[in-house]
Parts: sequence; C-alpha cells; structure tokens
Amino acid sequence: MSPTSTIERSKKKPAEAAVTSFAYAGKLLRVNLSTGKIWNQPWGQDEMRECLGGIGLGARILYDEVGPKVHWDHPDNRLILATGPLAGLPVWGTGGLTVVTRGALTNGATSTQANGFFGASLKYSGYDAIVIQGQAKKLSYLYINDDVVEIRDAAHLAGKDTWETQQALDAEHGLSGHRMSVYSIGPAGENLVRFAAIEGDYGHVASKNGCGAVMGKKKLKAVCIVRGTKALSAHDTRGLIQAADEIAHDLKTDPSTSTLYNWGTLPGVTNLYKLGALPIKNYTTNVTAVNMDDWTHTKLRAGFDHRGHQCNACGMHHCHIQVIPSGPHQGELVDEPEYEGWSGAGWTIGLTEKEAVSWLNTRLDRACVDVNEWGWLCGWVMECMEKGYITEKQLGFRLNWGDVEGAYRLLQMVSHREGFGDVLAEGVKRASEKVGGEAAKCAVYTMKGASPRGHDHRGRWDEMLDTCTSSNGTMESANPTFQTEIGLPGRINPFDGEQVAKLTGGILGRRHFEDSLGGCSFTFRARIELLARALSAATGWNYKLDDAMLLGRRTAAILRAFNLRCGIGPELEFPSARYGSQPVDGPAKEHHVMKQWEHMVDVWYETVGYDRKTGKPKPATLKKLGLDWLAKDLWRK
Amino acid sequence: MKGELKPEARRADPEMRLSGAKPGELKPEARRADPEPQTLAATIEITTWVTKYVGGDGSGTRIFEEPFAPGETVRDVLRRYTRRIPDLDAALWSPDGTDLGAHIEVLVNDAVLGVAHDLDTELQGGERITLLGQFMGG
Repeated sequence: MSPTSTIERSKKKPAEAAVTSFAYAGKLLRVNLSTGKIWNQPWGQDEMRECLGGIGLGARILYDEVGPKVHWDHPDNRLILATGPLAGLPVWGTGGLTVVTRGALTNGATSTQANGFFGASLKYSGYDAIVIQGQAKKLSYLYINDDVVEIRDAAHLAGKDTWETQQALDAEHGLSGHRMSVYSIGPAGENLVRFAAIEGDYGHVASKNGCGAVMGKKKLKAVCIVRGTKALSAHDTRGLIQAADEIAHDLKTDPSTSTLYNWGTLPGVTNLYKLGALPIKNYTTNVTAVNMDDWTHTKLRAGFDHRGHQCNACGMHHCHIQVIPSGPHQGELVDEPEYEGWSGAGWTIGLTEKEAVSWLNTRLDRACVDVNEWGWLCGWVMECMEKGYITEKQLGFRLNWGDVEGAYRLLQMVSHREGFGDVLAEGVKRASEKVGGEAAKCAVYTMKGASPRGHDHRGRWDEMLDTCTSSNGTMESANPTFQTEIGLPGRINPFDGEQVAKLTGGILGRRHFEDSLGGCSFTFRARIELLARALSAATGWNYKLDDAMLLGRRTAAILRAFNLRCGIGPELEFPSARYGSQPVDGPAKEHHVMKQWEHMVDVWYETVGYDRKTGKPKPATLKKLGLDWLAKDLWRK
Repeated sequence: MKGELKPEARRADPEMRLSGAKPGELKPEARRADPEPQTLAATIEITTWVTKYVGGDGSGTRIFEEPFAPGETVRDVLRRYTRRIPDLDAALWSPDGTDLGAHIEVLVNDAVLGVAHDLDTELQGGERITLLGQFMGG
C-alpha cells in the first residue's frame, strides 16, 4: 500500500477465499497500471452484505485506500468500476456500471452511473468490480476475456473518440454488438479536461466529476470486456423473477413511471418548462418564443428515424439510436439525447434546432465531455461574449447563442486544450474565476466545483440543495421517487425551504441503495420494497425497506467522511451567484432561493443527523448506522 | 377576461362535452347560499401523460372549462371534474380521496399548489388549473 494511503482499517483480516455466494461472482479484479500487476481479490459474504456493490462497495474502497494526499491525479487514486448483486440477473436494466473515484472537478468523492452491457459482462467474466490503481507509462487499454486479463498497448487508439475507439476494438477482436462491451475516453479524457466522462456501448456515459480525466491521467484509454462465460445464479430464481415482474409491471403501469417506460426522459423538456425548471440560455431567462408543442416527447422521437437500443435485459423503450434526417449532418447515426442532452447541448446554449442538438449531443459523448458541465460552460461563454465580458480576440472567434458550428469548434478547443480552450477545460468554476470581473458573476456551478444537472434548479430547490450538500460530485439523492413509502409527503410546496429540506434529507440513502445493486437508475425507479425483495431473492439474505435505507445512508455517511478528510466541508455548500439567483421571468420568478438558504441547510443537517458546524455525521447517527469504526475516525480527539 | 377560454380552448369544445361537464350544475350548499348563483368557470388544462385520461396520446395539452359556484375551492372543482373520469380520479387523488396523490402536479395560474393557492383556496373565476404529470428521470 502506498504511504499516502489510509491504513487504519486495513488491519482487518483479509477476506477468506470466497465462499460461493448467490448473485455474486465472489471476487474483485485488481489492476496496478504502474507495475502491470493484475490479481484477484476474493471478498467475503460479510463485506457483500454490508456494502452490496456499486457505490456501496466503491465508497468503502475509496475510504480505505485513498488518503487525503492522494488527489484525483495521483497514481494511487483508485478508479473503481463496480457492478452489484443484481447485475447480470434477469431484472430489467441490470448491465449497470457505477464508477467511483476521487474526481477532478471537486477533488472529492465521485459516484456516477452508466448502463449498457458492461456490468453484466463483468459478472459473467467472474468479477464483481474492477479496481484500478497506478498509472501506465504509455497509453494502454485493459482487455478482459474471462480469466484472460491483459494491459495492452493503445497507441493506435490515441486521439480517437469513444465511438471510434469502440469500433476499432470491435474490429481488432472480431467481436461486435453485445459480445464485447467497451468503456473508453475520447480526446477530452486523454487531455485531462476536468469534466471528461467515460463513455461506453454507444451512448452510455458515466459523466460526473471528471472521472474520464482520472482515467486519462492513468493513461487508460479503454476497458473492453468480452461477454463472459461464467455461471451466475440466484438463490431463489422464482422469487427473483416474481419481483422482477412486479418491478416491470410498476414501470409499465404506474402513471408516473409509464412515461419513463415509453419515452425515457424525453418528456422532461416540456414538463420542466412548465415549472420554470428548463434552463434557457445559461439561466438568463425561463421563457421562450419557441412553440413548446413542438418539443413534446412524441415529436422529439418522431422527428428522427430511430431504433430501440436497449441495455442488458431491459424491456424499456428508453434508449434509442437515431439518424439525423436533414441538414449538414444528414444521415449520421447518433444517440437519441436524454433530457439532459436536449438541455445541455440545446436549451442552455440557446440552440433549439433539434437535428443540431441531437448531433452536438453525440459529439460531446464521443469527445467524452459531460453534457451538463458543457451546457454551463458553453452557455457562459456565449453570454459573456454577448455582454462583452469575453472578447472575440480572447476566444479566437465569435460565438453567439445557438451557434452549433461555433459550439462544436469550442468543443474541439476544449477537448484538445487549444488556446482559450485550455482555460475552459478546467470547468466553468475555475475558468470564470480566472476571467473574473462581471464574467465571474454569470457562471453556474456549486462552490465545491461540481456541475449542477441540466435543470434550472431555481425552480427545483430540492435538487439545488441536494447538489450543494452532496458528497458524490452530483446530486446524491436526486428527485423523490415513491417517497410516501418511507413516510414522507407525496408533495410539498417547492418554494418552502423547510419542507424542501425535510424531503431532501428524508430521502437520503434511497439512491445510494439503488446504485449499490448493479442496475439502472431508470429501471430501478420502483418501490424500494420491490427492490429489496429482488435483492433478497437474488442473494438469499433478507432485506426489507428499512435495511435498504440504512445501507444507503451508511454509504452516504462514508462518502461524506471521505470528502471531509479531503477538506471538502460545509463551508462550500452553497451555489454560485448565478446558480442561486432569482429568475427574471417564468413560473419561478417570485422566488429567490438564497432568502431561505441558510435555514434550508440547517434543516437538512438536522434531518440527516449531521453536525452543521463540522459537516460530520453525528456520533449518534453513525451508531444508528452501525458505523462505529467511522465514528472513531471522525470524532477521535 | 375572466372565464374566457383561449382560441385553442374553444377548438377543444367537443372534448369539453366529452368530459361530461354540466355547466350550471351546482352543489346544494351553493344553491342555498345564492338563489340566483353567478356561474363562474375555471380552465382545466391537462398536459403531459395526464392527457391519456382524457382521450389524448400522453403528450400535448387538452383544455376544458369547468363551471363552479361562488365559494367553491380548488378541491371542489377538481373533485367534481375528476369524479367523471374514474382513471384520472384514481391517479390524481390519494386512495382515500382526501388528498392529492404524489404523481400529478397541480398548478393554479402557473404556480404550483402551496405557493399562491392550496386545495382549499376559494376560486374567483378565470383561473387556469393545470394538471402536470410528474417527470421522472435525468
């Protein structure tokens, strides 16, 4: 172990040789890129029960192995690609992959999820997670084919975008489609753009907090995994399938989730516009002259020739591949944008030409750039140029609202750190601080450095509070889902800070539990009771709703402790001036979040049982969560 | 002008008839309170996936006019309106019918409930009550 790592908790006896556990492969794949060493690490049932997988497992490894001096770009930083107990089993959307690392934007904990087939393939290859440390001497890729695991030269992949990389590896190995899953970085990752993402399986992106920059720093271009051949079984197959059926039935028939089932996240554009939560032109307005009837989900999909592009074992009509029907990029194959694509590659930068938005969205994925941070960055440049805060000379060209070719030119500059693009590649917080003056007041970010999701949170205070207080580089609780199940109100006044904080704090842990299972956050928008039933049937262990929330809150507390150790505390838990400003128009114009901010944060702390002054989970909270060991770390004199 | 529908709402008139709206039908209390009641009306705007309950395809917007008597509240108007459409009734209200369920947002004049109006706020006439399906997902 590196001298910079945390060592206190490693005195624990190493896991015994894995006892066969239902739903688990039973071992972690360890890779040290500095030394070239590759080894298997068995993990035991006690750890599985406690961490589950995904973010739960990743948080534990991060806390145990990445010390405060191991910054995001340090070779000892860990890049954890984790699945969970449901990955590879017949539950919808169980090809999930959770990336956990110390990220480049906040230099703190990161957890970000993507889907496709990677998680299932990894489990079928005999691994529950890959833990990557070290830094390769030259650009490399990791090849996994059951027990064959090799670090290979990737010189021929240098500079390729993520789709080109997947195509090249498909051709090289004579495999395509679902027979090989590839997650890679594009030029933005290679050039350490702080908001670089990891993209895979043509359109799935682990995008938050610069995890692609971490991968780039390790000189790891891609991880490609052949669909494995190892057996995976559930403890109670019949029970698992019954629970999976009920989850699918809920998704199809529940009024709220059925749109997700049919249309994915497309309805977000018109819905959020109604609530004043669609970000338009970098938060400068919330109204548009564009006919929003043309932006309904049916029209967004019908405007393109499209085909379903489902993930592992998924029956949703969510992901689609589409063809650009007209214009300069006619005939190009692109990934149908999620809501956040329409927002970050479109509305936020004043671009409302659908073909252009869809094309740019895929170009961002291919360069491996997080579409949310892109929206805030590009929108900020456009606004600053309009107002004269950034000059044409400074940038090198004129960039106006909605200029798709200009935006693409900017993307190239950022991805390759060319000219002013080098400043912008640091993300909007650092870039705006560097430019300073009036320009700095226009930037949308959190003081921790994380990117808000592609909404106007001035109309969604719960998400702003979550984004600012979270410990994983993005929203950690996300929006409430079936919250009445855990005794919370079905609806609140979204502009009453106290109600908002109680709800946001009350749901803490649900998302962490979901992200520990190895499935998709969209197919897991089900009642927790059903997810717990599926987990119990898969593993043979008995989980109930309360266990699920406790496991999730435990993970949240570990990530918070990690961040505090990294120096990221409550003093950074507020929005930038623009992010927390009062809307000038639209449905939320009467409401200014900062008038209630302090009280809202106070109530959130009270609700989650953390200490307001230090940010630490209180000893009593940790005791309740069964984290006595963490209490000793956090509260020792 | 209060109670006046937008042109597109007028075009939706056949749907209004389909909805079973009975202009002039008042609650007994209202009759007692005012022997010659003034007929007021609110616009009910159904949008997003909620349109499926009123003959839509789950997108776009459907607009209806719902008459009410002076003194009636948002709750009164919505209860009466949805009682005629059982599936919408089940989706909008909690199982015991006393409160709203979790998945449909209710806006009055573009503001969500709890801001300027709540369920028991008396309507004045001319309000636009929007039923907006909750959006799930990133």
